[in-house]
Amino acid sequence: MTDTPPDVPIKSARKIFLSGASIVWIIPFLALLIALGVAWQSYSARGPQIFVEFENGAGIKAGETELRFRDVTVGRVEAVGFSQGLGKVVASIRVDKDVAPYIDNSAAFWIVQPEVSAQGITGLSTVLSGVYIEGSWNDEIGPFANRFSGAENAPLIRTGQKGLQIAFRTVGNGQLTDNAPILYRGIEVGRLGKAEIAPRGNFAIVEALIYEEHRNLVNSSTRFWDSSGFSVSIGPGGAEIDFESIATLIGGGVTFDTFVSGGSRIQDGTVFEIYPTKEQARNAVFNSSAVDPIELSVIFDENISGLAVGAVVELSGLNIGQVEALSGIVDYNQFGDSRVRLNATLSIQPARLGLPGEVTAERALEFLQDRVANGLRARLANASLLTGGLKVEMVVVEGAPFARLEAASDGLPVMPTTKNEASDATASVEGVFTRINNLPIEELLNSAIGLMNSAQAFIGSDELQQTPKDVRTLINEVTGLVSSDSVQNIPVSLNATLSRVETLVATLEEQQLAKRLMDALDGVSSAADGFSTSIEGVPELITEVQAVAAKASALELQELVDELTALTRSAEAVIDTPEAVALPGSLKNALDELNYTLQELREGGAVENVNQTLASARNAADNIAVSAQDLPEIIDRLSSLFDQASRTIEGYDEGDKITRSAQETMRDIQKAADALASLAKTIERNPNSLLLGR
Amino acid sequence: MVGMELSGTPQKILSARQMGLVACTRCTKAWPMGTQICGRCGHKMVSRDYGSLQRVWAFWVVGLMCYIPANIYPMLRTKTLFQNDESTIVGGAVELAHHGAFGVAAIILVASVVIPLAKFWAIAFLAISVKTRRMASNSARHFMYEVVEYIGRWSMIDIFVVAILSSLVQLKTLATINPGPASMFFALSVIFTMLSAQAFDSRMIWDDRSGNGDSTHND
Repeated sequence: MTDTPPDVPIKSARKIFLSGASIVWIIPFLALLIALGVAWQSYSARGPQIFVEFENGAGIKAGETELRFRDVTVGRVEAVGFSQGLGKVVASIRVDKDVAPYIDNSAAFWIVQPEVSAQGITGLSTVLSGVYIEGSWNDEIGPFANRFSGAENAPLIRTGQKGLQIAFRTVGNGQLTDNAPILYRGIEVGRLGKAEIAPRGNFAIVEALIYEEHRNLVNSSTRFWDSSGFSVSIGPGGAEIDFESIATLIGGGVTFDTFVSGGSRIQDGTVFEIYPTKEQARNAVFNSSAVDPIELSVIFDENISGLAVGAVVELSGLNIGQVEALSGIVDYNQFGDSRVRLNATLSIQPARLGLPGEVTAERALEFLQDRVANGLRARLANASLLTGGLKVEMVVVEGAPFARLEAASDGLPVMPTTKNEASDATASVEGVFTRINNLPIEELLNSAIGLMNSAQAFIGSDELQQTPKDVRTLINEVTGLVSSDSVQNIPVSLNATLSRVETLVATLEEQQLAKRLMDALDGVSSAADGFSTSIEGVPELITEVQAVAAKASALELQELVDELTALTRSAEAVIDTPEAVALPGSLKNALDELNYTLQELREGGAVENVNQTLASARNAADNIAVSAQDLPEIIDRLSSLFDQASRTIEGYDEGDKITRSAQETMRDIQKAADALASLAKTIERNPNSLLLGR
Repeated sequence: MVGMELSGTPQKILSARQMGLVACTRCTKAWPMGTQICGRCGHKMVSRDYGSLQRVWAFWVVGLMCYIPANIYPMLRTKTLFQNDESTIVGGAVELAHHGAFGVAAIILVASVVIPLAKFWAIAFLAISVKTRRMASNSARHFMYEVVEYIGRWSMIDIFVVAILSSLVQLKTLATINPGPASMFFALSVIFTMLSAQAFDSRMIWDDRSGNGDSTHND
């Protein structure tokens, strides 16, 4: 081994440029670049922050609780704090950048928590993982919003869930809970939302969703009913317990069916009614109540007990609705006094009015307004005489003061009223009975019995069997008298006179002058004088005929009887003759002849003339009676004439012996006839009075 | 060479460099100054690797950069049936301390926080002390260097724990442990500090720093 080391090349150490950076420095620079790059990337990829307010935290944890959309995490709660004044919990959520643009005003947020209900268990995963916030928004990009108010419950219609959105109106005491199912043949085809009480408080509104695939099951003639709980029915088939499912037993539910075909497609937002039972739902198909009822207010002046909620409202006898509510109303400003009036709220079903075309509440209201302008009024009427229940009737009142169907301050249109019929219905029935009770039936019967007795006695009397021969001669004389020329001339002069009297009286009446009246009366007197002298031969008979005819023309039964009496009196005189006794059959002949004679007279026109004349005379006499004071004179004169006639007839009377029985008989007949006459008069004047009591 | 002298005497110690020699760092054979390749093992030889300081600082910086996210991000992701835990190093230690496990908390704190920080400080101190006037005795600095080099690998104990837990506890939904992002950064940090410590040329500790300004430039 040598001491000298081997010759190795020896180089001076390379001079290092200290200020020059070593290649190693690339590493920290790279690291720095990477760090900066990552930082920038993560910053730029960071989405915006939104703030959602909730009533309570419900387990939201900063940094843990996720925001999910369709069960995919799209954000995370970064901080949980309070709003100003500690009123709400505010969760600030960092949302993913690509989702953020869709979170606009349509977004809804709610906290998903485990929930155990009759319909099942939801949100079970949150038991382990903790709650999360579910968001729902539509697929359109809207203006960015970063403050939201969280919903208390999940909305009925989730994102991506399509279906028919309808609403239910219910007044029943159903046990509908939120999220109760809508069943169809036992299969869930939809879901109820949250029930809310309508603003007026008279029914509940529940929104509901029919899933898209079952949309076609519902149309406009579909009826829904409450299948909550169970029903127990005991019938001929034994006891039956019926419930749709355990879920509806506990949580309530709605089921439906379309009982009739021909329903049309419905739009979102259609309102259906929930009927308490299937039967009612089925019945309701036929009075389609898809249209909202119109509500009217009616204020009745009289408070009559008997009107109840649910009482029918009738228009022309047709049930168009019912009484919805009853209350009293006191309004001094409106009515002028402080009386309590009956305020009834009517619910009118537009479909029942039978309007042509599409039935809407507006059109029905227009129709009613038009009818009210034409006199349609509401009134109370008896629904039943037995129970005393009342109904509201709408009737057209002719000539009613103009009124309009106008809305009052509380919003309901007020229907004008008319006089109620209910109050006097019972009264009229009572009146009928009272009047029937007051009829002189017993009197009538007594009179009738007396008449019968007297008639019997009269017919049975021997005197009647002996009709005097003189009857015939009398008749002959009458015949001859009547057929004489002078009689034929009577009507002419009489007519002329009376027409003069009539015109005169008319003038008198027109001018109202006493002097003229006196003159006219003087004229009448002189005319009457002339009249009485011109028929010197038979004045009495003429007068009598005149009186009889006058009375006959008045068609009064009593006068007829009087005439009968007079005639009979004459007949009595005849009956008394011995010839009459011998010749009973000749009476008929004589009367036949008289009849024939009178017929001849009539045919000859004389009678007609006489009738006309007498009618004129009667008119004249009526006029005179109204205006003249001198009537008694004429009457006196007529009486004297009549007396003369009586005496003339007495001249024919040989015996002047009237049997007592005949006289009584005649009186009885007269009395009976009087009674009959008055009854007939009453009946004739107003045939309805017997029944109506008016 | 040094051992020849009587120990304990405050005699001036000559370095190989002062004697005109350069030692091979691989096979430790001394060669005359200026030799560039070791004649025995072929290793490249420099008497004083002044470029090492730059490497030290470069790795030191990267290590420190990695140490920051290692402490910010979660180290472990523990998913159990009921909850999902993500804990950072310090957070985990504090949590353990809350539960009363002070010992474990102390171990974690020492292994994951104190030692790495001390390493950063020690390397920086050594690197600075080479350039400046005496701050501590040469032997003390050398001891410090040896400790740093020895202890550096033990910092990986955290990473081992994470790796073992992650591979063992994979019980599907019941319980799962996954390494968090911090574990990677922590491992990187440890690696870079070790690289930094290795890059340090410990021979520089013995150079007389009084006149080092000239000598470094001339030799």
